[in-house]
Amino acid sequence: MADSKIKSKAGTNTGKENALLRATLENMAQGVAMYDADHRLVTWNELFRQYLEMPDEFLGTNKTFSDYIRFIGERGEFGKDADIEAELKKRLIQLDHSHSFERVRPDGTVLEVRRDPVPGGGFIAIYTDITERKKAEMQLREDEERFRAIDAAAPVGLIIVNARDQTLLHLNPSFCEMVGKDAGALLGKPISSIFGDSEKSKELSDIVNSTSAERKEFHFRKPNGAASCLMVSHAALDFRGEKAIIASFVDINDRVRAELELRQAKEAAESASRVKSAFLANMSHELRTPLNAIIGYSEILQEDAADRGDKASIADLEKIQAAGKHLLGLINDILDLSKIEAGRMDVYLEQVFLSRLVDEVKTIVEPMVKKNGNTLVIDCPADIGSLRTDMTKLKQSVINLLSNAAKFTKEGTVTLRISRQAADGETPWIKFEIIDSGIGMTDEQMGRLFQAFTQADSSTTRNFGGTGLGLTITKHFCAMLGGSIDVKSTPGQGSTFTILLPDRAAKSGQTDDEFDTERVSVIPGPSSGAINVLVVDDDPVVHDVLAATLGKEGYHLTHARDGLEALNIMRTNPPDIVTLDVMMPKVDGWSVLGIMKSEAQLEHIPVIMLTIVDDRNLGFSLGASEYMTKPIDRNRLIALIQKFSPSKKDGVVLVVDDDADVRSMIGTTIESVGMQVAEAANGQAALDWLGANPKPALVLLDLMMPKMDGFEFLERTRDNPEFIDLPIVVLTAKELTDNERSFLAERTLLVLSKSAQPIGKLGFALAAIAGRSRNTKNAEAAGGKV
Amino acid sequence: MAKILLVEDNEMNRDMLSRRLSRNGFDIIIAVNGQEGVDLALSQSPDLILMDMSLPVLDGWEATRQLKANAATAGIPVIALTAHAMVQDKEKAMAAGCDEFDTKPVELPRLLEKINSLLRAT
Repeated sequence: MADSKIKSKAGTNTGKENALLRATLENMAQGVAMYDADHRLVTWNELFRQYLEMPDEFLGTNKTFSDYIRFIGERGEFGKDADIEAELKKRLIQLDHSHSFERVRPDGTVLEVRRDPVPGGGFIAIYTDITERKKAEMQLREDEERFRAIDAAAPVGLIIVNARDQTLLHLNPSFCEMVGKDAGALLGKPISSIFGDSEKSKELSDIVNSTSAERKEFHFRKPNGAASCLMVSHAALDFRGEKAIIASFVDINDRVRAELELRQAKEAAESASRVKSAFLANMSHELRTPLNAIIGYSEILQEDAADRGDKASIADLEKIQAAGKHLLGLINDILDLSKIEAGRMDVYLEQVFLSRLVDEVKTIVEPMVKKNGNTLVIDCPADIGSLRTDMTKLKQSVINLLSNAAKFTKEGTVTLRISRQAADGETPWIKFEIIDSGIGMTDEQMGRLFQAFTQADSSTTRNFGGTGLGLTITKHFCAMLGGSIDVKSTPGQGSTFTILLPDRAAKSGQTDDEFDTERVSVIPGPSSGAINVLVVDDDPVVHDVLAATLGKEGYHLTHARDGLEALNIMRTNPPDIVTLDVMMPKVDGWSVLGIMKSEAQLEHIPVIMLTIVDDRNLGFSLGASEYMTKPIDRNRLIALIQKFSPSKKDGVVLVVDDDADVRSMIGTTIESVGMQVAEAANGQAALDWLGANPKPALVLLDLMMPKMDGFEFLERTRDNPEFIDLPIVVLTAKELTDNERSFLAERTLLVLSKSAQPIGKLGFALAAIAGRSRNTKNAEAAGGKV
Repeated sequence: MAKILLVEDNEMNRDMLSRRLSRNGFDIIIAVNGQEGVDLALSQSPDLILMDMSLPVLDGWEATRQLKANAATAGIPVIALTAHAMVQDKEKAMAAGCDEFDTKPVELPRLLEKINSLLRAT
């Protein structure tokens, strides 16, 4: 790059020296420029020209240093509005001694400029590009500033501890504030100097030096005595070439306080809830006592007025009594809710026959429904069957919803619809819909519906009465029975409440081996001649096979090719046993079975399902006695037919009760299902009867009787080998103790409560029990399985 | 005529129940606390006892325990009467030896059924 002009001014040098100087200058990593005594640039290298973008007119010409400064000043290198002459002056003054400075060029490069005067006048200028170094320095400074800002501003306490000697290498302001100490007093001191208390110091030191990365809580007292808690985390660090530990501290006092408050609030709420439950229980006692007087005296006065023939007073007294009973109902609601909330509401599972439930509900709600001019519609298939649940709670729930519906509907319709939900392989559900054509509700009202102590509208209580607890209780009951309750409503158009309950409510921790009346077959009435078997199947081959098989055993067969024909035959000439196919034209086997179990006349006929459809659960839940899949196993079929064949001597139920009215009522219902009745007025009379007669199918036993009570009767019969397996069912009004319950559980099939069911309707259940117990015995005797 | 001992401290309840039972053909004797109840049961040998449970001096549970522990009175059926409708109240009464249990307010037909049933059994 060196050209003739560069060399021409070095006139005094020999060619060789010149070449050497040239090579030295061009190999330097700096820009170099030499000026003579007149400040004219005489020697320079290529880097100088590049760094300063020096035009040729300044290189080796008569232009002086001053011309050059003015030029670059005009070029804008001292800043836009710089005073160029002042800049020049400053530089000229500096030229008589060595000096250096940094210059930032407009393109951002940073040059370190060093000028040294040379003996005999003139000077030498050396330019070094320090842009990269400057950048690194700047970066470092920025990093440090950033770190300082974070360190100072972070709400997190930070310390750096020398891992070797445990001295504090750094403490940030937050940390000092957290521990209430001054950074100056601690820096360079051991970590143990933070807390004078040696135990706390050791604890902190242990946390910081722990090999586990786990965060730890550190509780301590500040110098002012305030308790405080910090969450400490730590990590290893190389700090100024030494192994160190950085520990961070987060103030968790707010969290600790909030947790404490939450715990206290929870305890207070639980305590308040317990107090409330106790209060309600006591309250209900206090309320019942005066009510006792109101209801009782109004009853006495009614009796007096009746004696006097004072009809006007009777009507008024009835109102007082009705109001008293209403109030009692409200108190019972409150008590129920307090029991639910105190977790003291028990669930008693039993098989609930829905048609009976409907009858009872209807009796209770019909007067309420009619009061507002409403019509009560019951929409429940006759073959709905039963479900396993808590009778009392289900009844109360349905009555609650129906009485609500009646209350909020005028001259409209209140419907109770019960149906079985098609189940998708899971437990079948029973759906109870309570539909009214009443005032309905808005979405907002519905939202508050199931909350205790609120009604859809606060004016509701005034207009419609009630505690507002009914729905809350109902919702709790539904949940306790494994189901749910839902509501749909349109203002002005009525509401529909829907309860869904599982076919079998589960009771946790209890084996479900209680007596199940749904699956047992029923013994038909005494018949003469051969046993009549009705074969229902659309396949003629089945008829032929059964005719051959059963005919040989002396059974009389009738034949039906479809469900409709079968039902017609059954209704005109009830068979003793039915074998039933499922897939048939017109009416299928499931429907036949359902219809049979819903008709009193057919319900007791044992049905043996004989089908290729393998759905035992459905069959049994619909009331089938047995289930056989095709192809037909003849021996098993004969055994089953034998098992369900009626025989006369089994058809007697011995009713033991001291109350002649009870004996008569039970006698009627038992005879209505085709069984015979024998009566005994006490335990001794029953023993006498047993001694003189063949064994009955069943003994129905009262407990409280003169001469010999039920307990003694049970002890005597069970001691006698002849009667050890006599089927006995207890029917009592007595409230039983736990001991009595277990005594009876060991010795009887079942304990029925006189108050729990209408005695006059027990016939079918008793027949079912008698039939089941007889079948078991026959099967055992035949060595077969049940 | 069957003789019933009514043990009840509340005057209104006592008056009401005794009048209604008398009307139904029972001979009623009255005690106002548990101790008096136990004493009268010994001296008067009633056929049946209606026992309130919350009683002064000696409560109904303790009175019943004493009656059932004494051979002279153990055979007399005791019906517990209480306004406590909780299940455990019933269990408590039965555990004390009561033969029956009924809640107040009294439903007379139900109570009469229980009384008659117990009287027939003895």
